[in-house]
Amino acid sequence: MSAGTAGTALVGTGPVSAAGAIGTPARMRAVMLRRSLRENPGPAVAALTGLLAAAWLIRYAVHGEGDTLSILAGTWVLGWIVLPLMLGGGRGRVRPSHLRLEPVGSLPAAAGLLIASAVGIGPLVSLVALAALPVHAAASSGSPGAVLTAGLGALLLWLTGLIGSALALEAIGHAGGPAGAVLTGTFTGTVMGLFGSVWAVAPWITELLAGTPEHIARWLVYFPGSWPLSAAGGAAGPFLALLAVVAVAAGGYFALVRRTLVARSSWRPRLPHAAKPAVTTAGPRGIPGGRWGPGPVWAVAGRESRTWARHPLRLQYLTFAVVYGALLAGLPMLAGTEVLVPWAGVLTALWAAAMSAGLIGLDGTALWMPLTMPGGERAEVRGRALAWLLLVTPIALLLTVAGVLLAPDVDPLPALAVLPAVLGAGATLPVWVSLLRVRPVPDVRHPTSADNPTDIVSALVASGGGLVAAAVPMAWLIWGPDGTGGVAALLGIAAGVAAWFGGAWLADDRLANRGAEVLTAAGQRTRPPETVIPMRIDAAWYRENRATAWALILLTVGWVPVVPQGLMVLVLDISGGWIVASHLTGPARTGTAVAMVALGGAMLLTGLVLWGRRPRPAP
Amino acid sequence: MPRGTPACLALITLTAMPPPALEIRQLRKTFGTFRAVDGIDLTVRQGTFHGIVGPNGAGKSTTIGMAVGLIVPDAGEITVLGHDALRDRAAARALTGVLPDGLDLPERLTGAELLRYSAGLRGLSRAAAAERVTELIEVLGLAKAAATPLADCSTGNRKKVGLAQALLHAPRLLVLDEPFEAVDPVSAASIRRVLRRFVDSGGTCVLSTHSMMLVEQMCDEVTVIHQGTVVAAGTVAEVAGGLPLEDRFVELVGAETTGTDGLSWLVR
Repeated sequence: MSAGTAGTALVGTGPVSAAGAIGTPARMRAVMLRRSLRENPGPAVAALTGLLAAAWLIRYAVHGEGDTLSILAGTWVLGWIVLPLMLGGGRGRVRPSHLRLEPVGSLPAAAGLLIASAVGIGPLVSLVALAALPVHAAASSGSPGAVLTAGLGALLLWLTGLIGSALALEAIGHAGGPAGAVLTGTFTGTVMGLFGSVWAVAPWITELLAGTPEHIARWLVYFPGSWPLSAAGGAAGPFLALLAVVAVAAGGYFALVRRTLVARSSWRPRLPHAAKPAVTTAGPRGIPGGRWGPGPVWAVAGRESRTWARHPLRLQYLTFAVVYGALLAGLPMLAGTEVLVPWAGVLTALWAAAMSAGLIGLDGTALWMPLTMPGGERAEVRGRALAWLLLVTPIALLLTVAGVLLAPDVDPLPALAVLPAVLGAGATLPVWVSLLRVRPVPDVRHPTSADNPTDIVSALVASGGGLVAAAVPMAWLIWGPDGTGGVAALLGIAAGVAAWFGGAWLADDRLANRGAEVLTAAGQRTRPPETVIPMRIDAAWYRENRATAWALILLTVGWVPVVPQGLMVLVLDISGGWIVASHLTGPARTGTAVAMVALGGAMLLTGLVLWGRRPRPAP
Repeated sequence: MPRGTPACLALITLTAMPPPALEIRQLRKTFGTFRAVDGIDLTVRQGTFHGIVGPNGAGKSTTIGMAVGLIVPDAGEITVLGHDALRDRAAARALTGVLPDGLDLPERLTGAELLRYSAGLRGLSRAAAAERVTELIEVLGLAKAAATPLADCSTGNRKKVGLAQALLHAPRLLVLDEPFEAVDPVSAASIRRVLRRFVDSGGTCVLSTHSMMLVEQMCDEVTVIHQGTVVAAGTVAEVAGGLPLEDRFVELVGAETTGTDGLSWLVR
């Protein structure tokens, strides 16, 4: 066991007591969580965002409609299960494999691991959010029995999410190999595509929040999210069904833990047979290593192309991007909305960029090779970008053409004009982001879906770059003179080229000046020296650390326009004297709040860039 | 210089003397509050086999990492074959082959593909790359590893592939961190022969190792590092001072525990 003092409880002269086996993983998890909260602000920001959403859900529960609340609660639990697969929710978890060498029984281990899973921000926020169900029962019936039943139902739904999340991370996350990767990517892409389509069709949301349409409500009986409120209404069946779901999930998790502990096997793919080479040594003309392009940039592009084709997580990310992009554009057709269909390629490219924002961490410390070769940094950046472009461009073009053919009545020019801008930005900006925010995976040789190194901030910045580039041709199309669509297409190409060079310049600069630091972060073997920030006004320190100071200011102040001035107005519809948008009404109010979010986003992005470029501390 | 040598002859001798393959002056590196390398001086002459030894955490890998540009020093100077390695990185990199310890490789490539990738990064022509890769696979016994993704290769095979990529561009200075770790005896013998031929032809090899036997067998000179400083340096015979090198090493770095006290619960 590698968890410091927590592990000593399991080291002894005989089998560990059941209480010890159950309690120790939770203590290990608490230590990991405490450390992660101390080391980076991400979890705290996630908690704040989650609590805001939970508060909105509870507020909705007071006056809202039961069926819609059930859909929202069920969707929340589904998101809890699915999102960690995409956003690295396995990091910092205590896993069955951590207990493999300890004398612990499967049942206490499974129980201990599940209790450990409950220690975290996600489970806590989810528990708060699902409190919306008893709140709704209290508001609608007022009967204590109904409130208690809804509360117990909410607890069972929470347990479903907790066990389901642990099960998904261990089972789906460990289903190695290309087939498992493609399946996981398809599954997560489909679920997110369904979510995304809901957002894409805003009127549906309004309709849903006002009351679930009858044709949807009649299917809710099969949806576990509705069972707590159905049980509160007096039906015993849904409650028992929820109990059964929890029992089945717990049984599945127990079997998985047992397999890991007793059978001493993991879900890792088998190694190739010793006598059977996995790949032929010789290339097309008997040359060892196959066909490679000339020069350093093509060498890196060749390495990247092969890695994209063979790395299970990269395959999963690419599949996810394609499925998500295609569904996001195509699903609204079911409601007769065709306007998004030609955008399938653009959306796929945007998501492919977002999912590429952690690839440096995924490759571990393999970056040392270009760092020991003349001009290696430049080749690394351009080779990565070139490989991404060669991979994503044909897919995006194909989807765009298919979308144009499927929706002949929709003007394809905006999508066609925006596509080169998004491709140009998507090729290089994720390289920069992944060099800036390195999150190494624990096992580079055999990573699992749970090791996703792309966090939400990296994904947003990487895809945000594409949106900024796309704004150039879009602005021309909206505000430019009529009949000049061709100019927008040219502007799209120009924006793509500019974004390519801009991203490449940022990534070059980062790798050339901070290559050793990036490598250290990718290995996590030694921590880079921390920037010492004085706790009092120090003019001399400010003069020497201008970038650090501005980064700190922007990263602190940037949240003000994003959260209270923007999101709280948009989501919670709050008003207040110092909130600018609350002095306005209608589209002006919404527009101001959106502008505030954009302003704050720009401040945070600039802060992030400056933080990456802060001067090194003195030795 | 012998007493009585004319000044002009001394000047000619100094001018003709090749620069050291690797020269390190007052190198320092601190991680947080831990000073990993504390003012190390090291000179490696061209055409020699130079061993760097020291206990775990002594600062060997950090020193090697700084010498090849993978770690940025806090202070100090590093010269590779006359080129300032901190300012003229490209020239130093072109002359150096590196095998680091404990770092990842592009895990989805096969051994042969890694060598082709390395050849591409170094700008070798297609013909030269094909010829050298073929020969290295044969000489280092890499036929199996060449066809297997590196993620599925054994530690020893990964070391051999790493060594092959370090040799591929015919460097003049080889810097190897634990090159024989987990390598089987037969392969180790062939690697030793390859390295000896390399040094005999004028190349220079710096290797970090825990094996005193290896140092005694292969190295012309050795530097002992302990707690981030050099505690002994010179020819192997000078450093050994008439003792077996391992005994001398233990004497120099001082054993923290003898292994004879404590653990009474373990010994029944």
